[in-house]
Amino acid sequence: MKKTITMTVNGQIMKAEVEPRTLLIDCLRDQLGLSGAKVGCVVGKCGACTIILNGLTVKSCMMFAVQADGAEIMTIEGLAGDGELHPMQQAFTDKSAVQCGFCTSGMVLTATQLAKDHPNASEEEIKDAIGGHICRCTGYVAIVDAIKEGCKRMSEQQG
Amino acid sequence: MAKKWVGTSIKRKEDASMLTGEATYVDDMQLPGMLHCAILRSDYAHANIKSIDVSEARKLPGVIDIITGEDVKEYPLAAAVEFAHFDLKSPVKQAYLLAVDRALYAGQPIAAVAAVDKYIAEDALDLIQVHYEPLTPVVSMEQALSEDAPLIYEEWGDNVQMQVPSKAGDVDAAFAEADRVIKVKIGEHRYCAFPLEGRAAIADYKPRTGKLHTWISSQASSAPRANFAKTLKIPEQNVSVTVPHVGGAFGTKLNWSVETIPCLLSKRTGRPVKYVENKIETFTIGPHARDYVFNGEVACKNDGTILGVKADVMFDLGIESSYRGTAIAKCVILLKTFLGQYKIKNYSFLSRAIVTNKAFQCSYRAFGKEQGSRFIERIMNIVARELGISPEEIRLKNYIQPEEFPYRTTSGALYDSGDYPGTLKRVLEMADIPSLRKEQARLEEEGRYLMGIGIASFVQPSGSAVPDGYLNGMEGATLKLLPEGGFILSTAHCTLGQGIETTLSQVVADEFTVTPEDVRVIIGDSDKAPYSSGGFASRGAAWVVGAAVTVSRKLKEKVLRFGAHVLKVEADEVELKDGKIQVKRDPAKSVSLHELATSVHFWPGAIGVLPDEFLYTDPSLDATAYWTAPNPPVSWAAPINLYCTHPNGAEVSTILIDKETGKITVPKRFVVYDCGTLINPDIVKHQYIGGALQGINGILNEELCYDENGQLTTTTYMDYLIPGSHEMLGETVFEHQETPSPFTPLGCKGMGEAGTFCSVSSVMNAVEDALGITITKTPLKPQTVLDYVKEAMEKGTLNRRREW
Repeated sequence: MKKTITMTVNGQIMKAEVEPRTLLIDCLRDQLGLSGAKVGCVVGKCGACTIILNGLTVKSCMMFAVQADGAEIMTIEGLAGDGELHPMQQAFTDKSAVQCGFCTSGMVLTATQLAKDHPNASEEEIKDAIGGHICRCTGYVAIVDAIKEGCKRMSEQQG
Repeated sequence: MAKKWVGTSIKRKEDASMLTGEATYVDDMQLPGMLHCAILRSDYAHANIKSIDVSEARKLPGVIDIITGEDVKEYPLAAAVEFAHFDLKSPVKQAYLLAVDRALYAGQPIAAVAAVDKYIAEDALDLIQVHYEPLTPVVSMEQALSEDAPLIYEEWGDNVQMQVPSKAGDVDAAFAEADRVIKVKIGEHRYCAFPLEGRAAIADYKPRTGKLHTWISSQASSAPRANFAKTLKIPEQNVSVTVPHVGGAFGTKLNWSVETIPCLLSKRTGRPVKYVENKIETFTIGPHARDYVFNGEVACKNDGTILGVKADVMFDLGIESSYRGTAIAKCVILLKTFLGQYKIKNYSFLSRAIVTNKAFQCSYRAFGKEQGSRFIERIMNIVARELGISPEEIRLKNYIQPEEFPYRTTSGALYDSGDYPGTLKRVLEMADIPSLRKEQARLEEEGRYLMGIGIASFVQPSGSAVPDGYLNGMEGATLKLLPEGGFILSTAHCTLGQGIETTLSQVVADEFTVTPEDVRVIIGDSDKAPYSSGGFASRGAAWVVGAAVTVSRKLKEKVLRFGAHVLKVEADEVELKDGKIQVKRDPAKSVSLHELATSVHFWPGAIGVLPDEFLYTDPSLDATAYWTAPNPPVSWAAPINLYCTHPNGAEVSTILIDKETGKITVPKRFVVYDCGTLINPDIVKHQYIGGALQGINGILNEELCYDENGQLTTTTYMDYLIPGSHEMLGETVFEHQETPSPFTPLGCKGMGEAGTFCSVSSVMNAVEDALGITITKTPLKPQTVLDYVKEAMEKGTLNRRREW
């Protein structure tokens, strides 16, 4: 029995018809065409499916789409401005923090959220923040560097 | 030629699309009418399949097709590697994409469903009834070799798939002459890459035209085209393989038997079929890697000169590995590469590949080469410790010297260039061993931590051309100068995260004195580019760059002749500069590449601008060229050189053992790495650092555990300890050296696998430095470490005097 849900996704109101068991990640990717969030492990461990839901980072493979009815969602597609990368995205490329790219969208969203909540996050706090993400390529060194730099740039932009 | 872009750490062209969600991976694609495939896996490690009843599953609304072993019998898998020149002791006559009559490991695909969505496909699996007759599984190499072992392939008479002896010099004389013979036993457990993106495939078969287009997450696009064609009996010209972005591979995406399942379903249904494996399948279906043991003996003089090595190596392959994976080739590659940087004249090796009821093996960063390297690097430290000399001294005594290149090893490898003593001395200088020793003493005094300092060095065979199979070397590229002055370079190589679109555009930009922005690189499409062996064995900087340079120079020659004709001078009177062809003695007389390309294509067009000798033969501004490494391997029978380049490096790793918890951390590492001419130094550095965590965490924390019934008990990222941010290594002080290779056009050497070689050796050597005993058991999980700490305390080796 399908249900109709309504969400605000990247600033636009969107409707979807979903089964009660449809995962939010599948709804976003397969129905709304937002494939920036990836399906990694489907056990909530790898973070590739991370989105921002009502201001919080959420692993969208761990939620049913119906639970997001009425929610405000931002996916990686909503982060960059027209023609320009968001400062956190720019920091990731400047610090060589991208290799295969599969973990990247989730990492970047978690990082932007961290920067908003803790603009002066220490290295340990950054590691804690991305503790729910897996990257198999970089060894995390460049990612931690990029997040430090991104936090700095985001607070400069606001300040 | 002046280098402007080669050697510069420009930012990667790939990043913007990956950072914004624009980059397309297989699972991001949807085709109209597409079905979804789910796979039923064997519950048993070893069982006869008496019957499979799919009738209830077929009744489920939305289920379109189901296949079992009965349906695949007419499609035996095409082999991935064959060893015509080798005594492949026990060839497997036929292997299939689903189990036929007998399941050989827990997790082996036995049936597959195509349904209108992935949820329904999964539901259907629950309705399939399989009647198994369980058989005794073989779960270890010891059991596999025992007298009464069940036979996995009855026709063989035993459980050994391959047995390869290898010899050089006079090993008996070397052992007779030795001052000391030191026994060494080392090995590694079973673990693998398990990239974030697992297997993924979309197959789209068009019944009217008989064409099959597949999109797969793979390290090659040309070879799987042949593989699918051969297995599915479709003419190869009707098969297309596209590899979009790949979410990590590391050697594990060089086998296509599982990807053939959605292809067959598409062929049967006439509809596109997608298969994206879940993580449990990534772990249980395989491929796996490592899981080997060396029993060696080293003959040496008291001064540390190594006279000879004897060893018996056994690999636990899991089920056979010539159709599903290519792991049997590892057994041979190891024999060709284990000598490392040392002048060892005499050796005798026996390499055996044992089959068990476990998932199959394939390659994993670096396909046996890292095993050989770890073996010899551990030997150096163990022997040094036994002899009471420093690990630095024993290496310097046995190294190949800079003036001896190119150097032919006794196993046949031809090393291109390097300065092994220089690299080691530099890393020791950077690490400042005396001050590290002080810190070590201070921590020992404090009592909580044991610090270890490990050195190791390595040569990294890269850029393979392995005869007899898909790992053969063949690499082409096409380059086009477009009417508006831009370039398109096409290669069927694949983009796995190495940044190859960026580095290739840097290379072409320098050849034509333009910018990387002027060059677009099309990658991963068997239809759009000449044959490419693919992205494995660190082939990119050697073979793919080789092809890019060769095709650039071929096109450049044409461009210069066209330009000279337009400028009314001879071809040898012009040169390329800043994107223009100019007369050398009068640079004001010039024509830009853009102007030339426009005039050839449009105004006035080739007829108006080209001389007859081109107009009627080749008026194009395209070229296709292949590159082949010099000194190629000819036959397995002779001592052969499998790799065209040999980067080298040295490391010092420091480790801390927490005596209370047994946890090992790696606070600081020093690395000097030489992969010849650098194209993009930052890309090299970050791939190396990422590879080092893969190597080190593999040896410390990751383990594929099978129980006594042959069931894999580590099947997700929850119970298989993949490294997270808290496993991040401490600071790495990294320095490049550049000794160009004489065997590649720009002097580059392939580097992608480098990080996993020496990182493990230096960390293992550091653990032994801390404890003073030889480590034979891995992974070094906390409980194992605590056992070793206890052993070291009992033996009184903790506070021994260190010799360097």
